[in-house]
Amino acid sequence: MKSINKVTKTLLVCSVAALTGCGSSTSSVTETIDAQEQFGCSVINVYNAGEYIGEDVISNFEEKYNARVNYDTFDSNEIMYTKLLGGSSYDVLVPSDYMIERLINEDQLQPLDKSVMEYEDELDPAVLEMRKAYDPEGKYSMPYFWGTVGLVYDTTVVPTEKIEKEGWEILKDTEYAGNLYYYDSQRDGFMVAFKALGYSMNTDNEEEIEAAYQWLREMNETMSPSYVTDEVIDGMVNGKKALAIMYSGDAAYVLSENENMAWYEPEEGTNKWADAMVIPKNASCSGLANAFINYATGYDVQYENSDYVGYTSVRKDVVDELYGAGGTYEGISAYNPRSDGKNDEVFHYNATLTKKLADLWNKVKIQ
Amino acid sequence: MKAFAKLITPYVVWMCAMIIVPMLMIVLYAFTVQGNSVLTLQFTLSNFARFFSDPIFPSVLLRSLKMALFTTVFCIMIGYPIAYIMARFKPSSQGLCVLLVTLPMLINMLVRTYAWKGILSNFGFSSEINVYIGMVYNFIPYMILQIYTALSKIDPSLIIAAHDLGADDRETFLRVTLPLSLSGVVSGITLVFLPAVSSFFIPKFLGGGQYVLIGNLIEDYFVSTGDWNFGAAISMIMALIILGSMYITRKLDKQIGEDED
Repeated sequence: MKSINKVTKTLLVCSVAALTGCGSSTSSVTETIDAQEQFGCSVINVYNAGEYIGEDVISNFEEKYNARVNYDTFDSNEIMYTKLLGGSSYDVLVPSDYMIERLINEDQLQPLDKSVMEYEDELDPAVLEMRKAYDPEGKYSMPYFWGTVGLVYDTTVVPTEKIEKEGWEILKDTEYAGNLYYYDSQRDGFMVAFKALGYSMNTDNEEEIEAAYQWLREMNETMSPSYVTDEVIDGMVNGKKALAIMYSGDAAYVLSENENMAWYEPEEGTNKWADAMVIPKNASCSGLANAFINYATGYDVQYENSDYVGYTSVRKDVVDELYGAGGTYEGISAYNPRSDGKNDEVFHYNATLTKKLADLWNKVKIQ
Repeated sequence: MKAFAKLITPYVVWMCAMIIVPMLMIVLYAFTVQGNSVLTLQFTLSNFARFFSDPIFPSVLLRSLKMALFTTVFCIMIGYPIAYIMARFKPSSQGLCVLLVTLPMLINMLVRTYAWKGILSNFGFSSEINVYIGMVYNFIPYMILQIYTALSKIDPSLIIAAHDLGADDRETFLRVTLPLSLSGVVSGITLVFLPAVSSFFIPKFLGGGQYVLIGNLIEDYFVSTGDWNFGAAISMIMALIILGSMYITRKLDKQIGEDED
C-alpha cells in the first residue's frame, strides 16, 4: 500500500538475490509474441505506486511482447485518482481496494478479459475472498499485493506479553510516551482508534467518530507521538522508537533488517487491504493491458515483485516459498499477515466521511 | 529595440503556461466544489467558510506567521553581525566569506534538511526548537548576503566624516551605518519571511509531524485527502497573505529610500 524509498534496500535485495543465485529471475522468455500483430497496438501506460515492482518485470514483459511499457508511479491513491480523472490515459492502474471500489462505482473501469487470465485460480483463496469487498463480482480487478496494518515493536523495550495484553491500547501506554511513530494518514489513524474502541473502521456513527476523535486527542496529548509516513521505515530499522504503526509489507523489511523488531496484529482487529490491477475505461491498448495483468499474476513475476519489495504476494505458493525455509523472508511474521482475523475489515470509500475524518485528523495533530 | 520585442514571446508563453494558468486554476478550484455528473462544477464560497468557521485552521495560519516572523527575527539577529564582520574584512577575504555563506546553498535544501534530522535526533530538543534550527539555518544565507551587499556599498568616507564630526563608534553605527544598511535588511526580510511562511518540508521532517503549518495543511488536503478544492482555498488565503506582506515590505523599502535621500 505504501512504498519504500530507499537505495539501500535496492542494493540489499540485489545482493541477497545474487547470493541466493537469483532464484527470482523470471525465466527468460523463449517465445516472443508480437503485440502489434496480436492486439493492434504495442504501447501501454502502467501507473503503479512507487517502489512497488521488481527490477526486471517491465523489461522482461517488453521483450516477451515486443512492446513498450511507459511506467509511471504515484504517491497516493488520491493523486492517481485526480490524474486519471484529469484525462491522463493509462492502460493498467494498481490502486488500493477502496479506490477500486470508488472507480467501479463511478464507472471508470472496464471488465478484465477473463479468457486471458490463466492464473486467477492459483491465487490465494483468502485474497480472492477479500476482493469481494471492493469488487463484488471480481470482474474488474486482479490482486497484486495484500497485507494488514499492525504494530512493529522493539522487543528489547516492549515485552511481547504486554503488547499482546494491551493491543492497540499500548499506543496510549504512557510508559512509551515520546517513543512511538503514529502513521500520518486520516484513514489509518482513525482505523486504529476505531478498532481500539471496538468499533467498525467503516463506521459513520457520530458518537463513535466522536469517541475515536477523543481517543486520538488523548493519545496525542499524553504520548506526543511522531507523525510519519515513509520515514517510519528508516526510523524503525535504526531502532529510533520502540513502537510504530506500519503496513505489513514495510514491517517485513524492518524485521529483516533489525532483529530486535517484532510484528503484532492486535486481536481487536485491523485493516486488511489489497492493491489490485485494473484497466480504466479510456485505456488505449486494453488487449496488451490484459496480457500485462495476466503476466503480473504468474508465479515468476509475483515472486520477483514480492522478493524485491517485501509486500506479501497474492499467490500462496510464492508466500510459502519466500516465507518458508531458505526464503528471503523466512520466519519474518509480517511477511505472512493474518487473513482470517474475525475483526479485520476492508476499508470502504465514503466521500463525506473522508472529508470529515480528514478535518478531525488535522485537528488531532494541531492541538 | 523594437526589432527585439518579438524575442520576448517565448518568455510570455512560458509565463502563461507555467505561472498564470496554474494560478487561475487554483482560483477556480478554491471557489468551486465537485458537483454531480450533470454539473461538474459548482461555484461556492463554502471552502473559505470552512476555513474560517473552525478556529483550528486560522490557528494554523497564525502559527505559520509566528514561525516565519521568529525565523526572520533570528535571521536578522544572527545574520546582521555576521554580515557586518564580513563587510569589514579586507576585500580579498570578503570573496571567501561570501563563498562560505553561499556554499551550503549549492546543496539541495532537502538533503541539508535530512542531514539536520540526523544531527538533531541525537540531542532530543523539542520539535519546535528543531524546526526553528532548521528554518534559520536554511534561510540565513539570504539574509546575510542582502545585508552584506548593503553594508559593502556604504561609502567609507561617510564613516570617516562621522568620526571627524566627533561621533564615536557606537554613534557612527547607529546614525550612519545602520540606517544605510536598512534597505538590505528589508530585502532580506522579503527573501526570508515569504518562503518561511509557506515552507512545509522543514517542519514536516524536523518537527516529527507534530508541528503542522499552513504548508503542511495544503499538502495534506491535496495529497492524502484528495480534497483539491479546500487545498486550493487554503493556498489562496496564503497567497493573499504573502501578497499583503510583499506590499508592506515594498512600502517600507520605499520609505527607507526616501529617508536616505
